[in-house]
This record gives sequence, C-alpha cells and structure tokens, in this order.
Amino acid sequence: MTAQILAVIIFVLMFLLIVSEKIERHIVTLLCAAATLILVFGLCMHDGRAIVETLNVGGIFKTGFWYAPGSAEESSVGINWATIIFIAGMMIMVEGMAKAGFFRWLCIAIASFVRYRVIPIFLTFMVMSAVLAMFIDSITVILFLAAVTVELAQMLKFDPVPMILSEIFCANLGGSATMCGDPPNIIVGTSLGYSFADFITNTGVIAGISLVFIVLYFFLCFRKPLRSGGGTADPSTFPKPSDAIKDKKGFIVSCVIFAMAIALLVTHAMTGLTVAFIGLFIALVTLAAAGRDMLKLIKKLDYKTLLFFVGLFVVVGGLEQTGILEIAADFIGRISGGNMYLMVAIIVWVSGIASAFVDNIPFAATMIPIIRGLSDIPGVNLAVLAWALSMGTDVGGSATPIGASANVVGTSVAAREGHPIGWGKYCRYMFPATLIVMLISMLFIWFRYI
Amino acid sequence: MKQQLIIAVGREFGSGGHEVAEILAQRFNIPFYDSNLLEEVAAHKNVDAAGLTKYDERPRFFGVYRHVHGYSNSPAENIAHIQFKYLRTMAEEGRPFVIVGRCAEEVLADFGCVVSVFILGDEHRKIERVAKKYGVRPDEARNMLLLNDKKRKAYHNYHCKGKWGDSRNYELSINSSRIGVESTADIIEMYIREKYSRD
Repeated sequence: MTAQILAVIIFVLMFLLIVSEKIERHIVTLLCAAATLILVFGLCMHDGRAIVETLNVGGIFKTGFWYAPGSAEESSVGINWATIIFIAGMMIMVEGMAKAGFFRWLCIAIASFVRYRVIPIFLTFMVMSAVLAMFIDSITVILFLAAVTVELAQMLKFDPVPMILSEIFCANLGGSATMCGDPPNIIVGTSLGYSFADFITNTGVIAGISLVFIVLYFFLCFRKPLRSGGGTADPSTFPKPSDAIKDKKGFIVSCVIFAMAIALLVTHAMTGLTVAFIGLFIALVTLAAAGRDMLKLIKKLDYKTLLFFVGLFVVVGGLEQTGILEIAADFIGRISGGNMYLMVAIIVWVSGIASAFVDNIPFAATMIPIIRGLSDIPGVNLAVLAWALSMGTDVGGSATPIGASANVVGTSVAAREGHPIGWGKYCRYMFPATLIVMLISMLFIWFRYI
Repeated sequence: MKQQLIIAVGREFGSGGHEVAEILAQRFNIPFYDSNLLEEVAAHKNVDAAGLTKYDERPRFFGVYRHVHGYSNSPAENIAHIQFKYLRTMAEEGRPFVIVGRCAEEVLADFGCVVSVFILGDEHRKIERVAKKYGVRPDEARNMLLLNDKKRKAYHNYHCKGKWGDSRNYELSINSSRIGVESTADIIEMYIREKYSRD
C-alpha cells in the first residue's frame, strides 16, 4: 500500500513539475525515476526483480529486439528502449534532411507547383503537413512549414495565421496515421507489438477520412480571409525551389535515406526488422553519409527528449509494478460494464481531453498497461482499444495551444514574425476541428470493429 | 554628443519615469521609445500594431503556456523577444535612443554605450500623480499602482536574471518624489555628460 501511494505521489509530482516548467522536463523525469527505483522498488517493495524488469536492459540483447520474423515485436514493460532507439534514429535522419535543405525545398516546390496562388497553397500545405507528419516528427514539419508560410504571407500579402493553424492540425492528424508519426503511436506499437501496417490500415484509415472533413472544415472557415488578403506580387520575387537546396549531394543522399526509411517501415512486418533496428540502421547510414559532419549531427541529437523518455518509462513502470494501473483498468472496466462501445468512448474522450492539457506522451505511456489490463475482460479486443487510445491522444492535443508540441512551435513561429495567436483565436478554430475528428474516430471504431 | 548613447529607463508606475525619459530624449536630441517601439516593430514587419500592443510588457501566466525546444506559445513572451531583438539590432546599428522599460538594462547590457537608470517614488506621491493624471480617486490610483507594478515586476523578473528595481542592476536609482521630475532628469543628464566627458 505504501509503495502504491508513493508511486502515485511521484507520478503526480512529475506531472506537476513538467507543467510548471521550473525544471527541465528530462531532469524531472530522471529524478522521479530515481525516486521510483530507490523509494518504491528499493525501500518499500525490496524487489530487485521489479528494478530489473523496469530498467529492461536485458531485452536489448535479445535477438527479438532487433529481428522478429513472422511475429509481432515483443511487448514489454518498463523502459521502452525500442521507442527510444527509433526516435533517436529518426532525429538524426531528420537533422540530416534539414541540413541539406529538404524541407524548405519541398515547401517552395509545392508553392511553385500551384503557381503561388493563396488558396491552392493553403490546401496543398495542409495535405503536405499531414503526409510529412506520417513519417517525420510534427515539430520539424511545422517548424519548416510555418516559416515558409510566414515568408509566403509577406510576399503574397495574406494573413498566415489561418494557414499555420490548419497546418498544425493536419500535422497532428497525419501523425496519428502511422506507427512512427507521433510518439504515443510509437509507444503503443512497440509496447503492444503492432506493426506499421497495423497502424496504417486502422488509424491511417481514420486519419484519411478525417483529413477530408478537416480540409473542408478549414476551407469553409478560412476561405474569406485568405481570398481577401491575397495581393498581387511580382513573380520575379518568388523563391525558387532550387535555391533552398544548400548541398546538392547531401540533398540527394537525404532523399534516398528518407525513401529507405519509409520502405523499411512499410515492410517491417514482412521483413521482420523491428523499429529499433530500423532506427539504428537509418541513424548509422545518415551518419556514414554525413562524413566529416558526423559529429555535428550527433551533437545536435536531442538527448534531453531521449532522457525524458527513459525517466518517464521508469515512473510509469512504478505504477505498473505496484498494481496502480491494474486498479485503474478495473475501474474503467467496472464503469463501462464490459461494454465495448462505452469503453471505446471513454478511452477516446478521456485521452483526448487529457492530451489537450497535458503532454500526451506520459499519458499514452500510462494508458498502455491500463488497456492491456482491460483486454483481459472477455470480449474486449486490445487492438480496438489501442486505436482508440492512439486517436484520442494524437488528435486531442490539437484542441489547445499547449496540447501538442507542434501547436507550441507553430504558434511561436507565427508570433515571432508579428502574428501572435492567443488561446481565444487558437481554440475558436481548433477546438471544433478536434471535436469533429474525435467524433469521426469514435464512430468509425464503433462501426468497424464492434 | 558624438558617441552612441542609449539610455535605458526602468520605472515604478506613477514615478514619472516616462516623463523623465522623454525629457532626456529631448535634451540629448535622440529618439524616444516606450510603447511606440512596437509600432515601429510592426511597421518593420509589415503587420498590424494593434495585434502586438495588447501583449506589450505582459507577464506570462503559469500553466497556460508551454515551451518546446526554445519555442513558447505565449504571445506576450514572443512579443517581448521581438522587442528585445529589435532593441539589440538598433544598438548594433549604432543608433542612439532612450528606451523605457522592456528589460533594456539587461537586454542591452553588453553594449558599453548604455546608461541604465531606475526611477522610483514615494507611494503617496505616486498616488497623487496617478490620481491627477488619470482623473481617478486615490484608492483607485493606489490599486492601479499596485497592479501595474506587480505586472512590470513579473514581466521583468521572468525575462531577466537581475531583479526589477534592484539598484545593483542600474547605474543610477533615483527617487523622483524627492526632487521632482525635472530635477531628476537634470541629475541623470549631468551624470551622463560627466561619464561621457571621461571616455
């Protein structure tokens, strides 16, 4: 009982400290992880096995961690090293692509393709945002997209805010479509053993349908300000896509590596290569191709985010080992009475509402053992709950300016260029859009799976 | 004065710091910036100034905003950074000016041409000034005083290492209630001329 209370106190404290931003979040999770290991597992439980299971280092040395032919990847408890290695690999790849000018080139190429007309740019950038976010972290997608949008807005004389808001939403939505699109999906996939194909054929379909509705929704919301704002600009001042490429050889190499990463991810259920393997492989190829710039790429690795994940998984492991998450699963099971409709609704909406206000990564990590516990109830399908959790956490974050990292980065880029976006302006358009997608997700899951 | 001169004026609400800064700008014949700084920034960025001024010198509220990789979704914080960047650019370009507030004493601390001043005042004098200037009752003036100083302090201390009004962060700290606005400006002017005559 003492261990359970302590594990909950540490978990709540971790959340509060993350929200307060007084201490960097990776230090918060690492300190809370140390407290979990020493106080909960050591002093209260005297359980060395719990420590070993939560640190989960042994798993890395098993063949199944890197290569799992013909079967789903091993599901695990404690630190999800596969997620951490995969995210590190993708970070290195994305850094290489950004350095070569890939993202800016893509944005300018698309704007040029639609002849720098405002409404077509608006529509194509939304789709591009969603598609890129399927494979690349939404922060990077929005960082480049929002910067180019502001630049085009100055040139073509339109208000960039509607476009940036739409791009943010579509980036979060696109992230929900694949296993590698958003950290909660990577955690869900690696923890529960789902593949890229599993995600794209389930959450991918929901995201695709939602994207159609969302593009229409934002078009109806913003067509007037965007049409009225577009001025006449001198075509000779339009940027050329080729000017965005800083290093031609690096650009070609980064395109090839990106294509390779997509191919490996799409086929990983068939090849048996795990996401940990793909992450490591892509990182090594990017580093090898970088040559002399290898060290620069390594130095730019966002180690703070990786350490944040390490600490987070240990704290959630504390809740898991002490049985708190089983209690939470029992509670949800009881209030839903084993009714799948109700259970899906609870998971979609609770995940969505929580993710709108708190970081969706710790939330998803906490919910995974809960839905695993719920799947013990006869008639409850774990996969259905996993899709509900993914959609809720990925999409719910769009509702408020603090719900997802892409929202913070996108609104910040806009504000730094003189277009501040407060809570009111943000929520007026993004909250209804979030409700639309969460409703579509819930109804889709109800009708397709139950 | 041939050398570049930047005067950074911090002030308590109702102390007459704004007027002191204006007088100094006239005497040294250099541009004066207060809330009009954002108008210039807006013109420079080709955006609507009204959209920026509502976030000027506003503190950041706890829990409502987040940071991700150095980016913040707080409009007030971003507007503050735009102003800081603009101030540094002006200073780098060698432009002389007087700037009121905006954490200028710390933002421009690396520039040797900056003279930083903090103007404070006695509470009853500040209440009198505010009541007269805004046509409000003394109790209302007192509330305005408390509220504005609280906001300024929160804004300053969020963005700066040095504390707002701490005399160690400024070259001069003067209580304008004791000698009046004009004489306060006289003393600062005298200090600046003396300092520059030694360079």
